[in-house]
Parts: sequence; C-alpha cells; structure tokens
Amino acid sequence: MAKSNVSLNVRKIDNNIQAIDIAGEINSFAENALMDAYSSISASGARVILLNFSKLEYMNSSGIGLLVTMLIRASRQKQRIMAYGLNDHYRQIFELTRLNEAIIIFPNEGTAIEAAKK
Amino acid sequence: MKNVWRSIIEFNVPSEIGNERMVVDRVAAEARNYISGEPLEKLKTAVAEATLNAIEHGNQSRAELPVSVNLLISETAIAVRISDEGGDQPIPEHTSPDLEKKLAGLETPRGWGLFLIRNMVDEINITYDNGRHTVELLIYQNQN
Repeated sequence: MAKSNVSLNVRKIDNNIQAIDIAGEINSFAENALMDAYSSISASGARVILLNFSKLEYMNSSGIGLLVTMLIRASRQKQRIMAYGLNDHYRQIFELTRLNEAIIIFPNEGTAIEAAKK
Repeated sequence: MKNVWRSIIEFNVPSEIGNERMVVDRVAAEARNYISGEPLEKLKTAVAEATLNAIEHGNQSRAELPVSVNLLISETAIAVRISDEGGDQPIPEHTSPDLEKKLAGLETPRGWGLFLIRNMVDEINITYDNGRHTVELLIYQNQN
C-alpha cells in the first residue's frame, strides 16, 4: 500500500520568515505533514513562508490542491507564501495553473529572503 | 494515413492511490527511448493524472479492479492508453479550474487533473467499450 514519501523540514530564517524544505513527493499523502508544517509556522507568528522545492521529486494535482489550501489559510492570516528551487517542468505547471501569481517564484533562497524582507 | 502502433509495454496495477507513481516510472523507463526532456516530463505528468483519475474515479479506488496501461509508438507519435472499469461516467471536475475562485472558496482547491492532462499532451482520445473506459494520451514526435 502506498504511503507518504515526503520529508519536510521547517527552518527559521528570522522572526518573520520561515522556510519549509520539501524533499520527495507532494501528493495526497503529504497533506498531514504539509499542513502540520504550515500550522507550526503560523503558531510562531511568522508572516512569510518560503517553500524550498529544490528537492521536490514529484507533485501531482492533489499536491497542487494542497498548495491552494495553504494559500487560502495564509491569506486569512495575512501571510505571504514564496517559493524557490522549482525545476523547469514544475515552474511551467505553476504558470499553467497561475499558482505563480499567488506564490511568487524566485531563483534561489537569497533572492526570496531579500524580497520577503521588503 | 492511419497510424500503425507497436506496443512497447503493457501492464496492470491495482486501483490504489499512489500506484500512479509506479505507472509513471514504468512508462518513463521505456518512453525515454523515444522522447526526452520536456516532452517526456509532460507525458509523465499526463500519465500520472490519467492513472490517478482511473484509480479514483473510474475504479472508485477499489484495489481489486485493475488499471491497465499500454505504451505504444508509431512513426509519428507516442501513445499511452490507460483503462479502467468505470464505463462512461464522466469525471466530476471543472474543465477550466479557476485559481481565483478556488482561493475565494467558490471552487474546491482540488480539480486540476483533467486540466493538466489537456495541457500536457498533443491529443486525448476517450473511448468506452463494454464498461471499459480508456483514455489515450498522444504526444507527436518531431519529424526530421
């Protein structure tokens, strides 16, 4: 039986910005882990969430749905979500779904942090 | 001129969510002999989504019902046929998911599968035959 194949690491950048390092697969099995990671960041009071996709192996439509759910929750909390580390294929999917309009994509963590601090 | 198809690989998987990953890996292992780069990545995404639909909607995630997968090539295209036992029931999904509506809570956050499939391949053909529902995904190969 298939099970979750994702590893998430929540990392504090500063009092306002935290990152989620995503490794593995973002699909329906990743829901609990991803939402727990988001909840822990929200509880800390961080206003900006950086999603590090550099070790993402696979994301399907269910995973896109999870990102939309996270965006809805972040919007209610007046938080911003940013992303970096997407490969060309998933960057295309972000553009196709217009997720890139809600989750701004950066080439690397440095540029994402710089934008987050503005 | 009608395509002459040659079957490369054919196999079944139980209808359990998560098995679409196995299907993608097996199809990609053979398909990379014929396509590569972005066309291969697009095919992999389309195959994953079509298989997930077959598992969830066609076979209602009943593990005892198989999803059949067949990779074929012709002179002009590569095709993947994914079949389930769901008959002619349409997949309950918006044809054009709207992110703004989803963010506003007017649509479910999910429902991206068909949209992704349509945008990943060159042609989709859907057929029904005696309760068997088949989605055929086609990527045209460049002609030199």
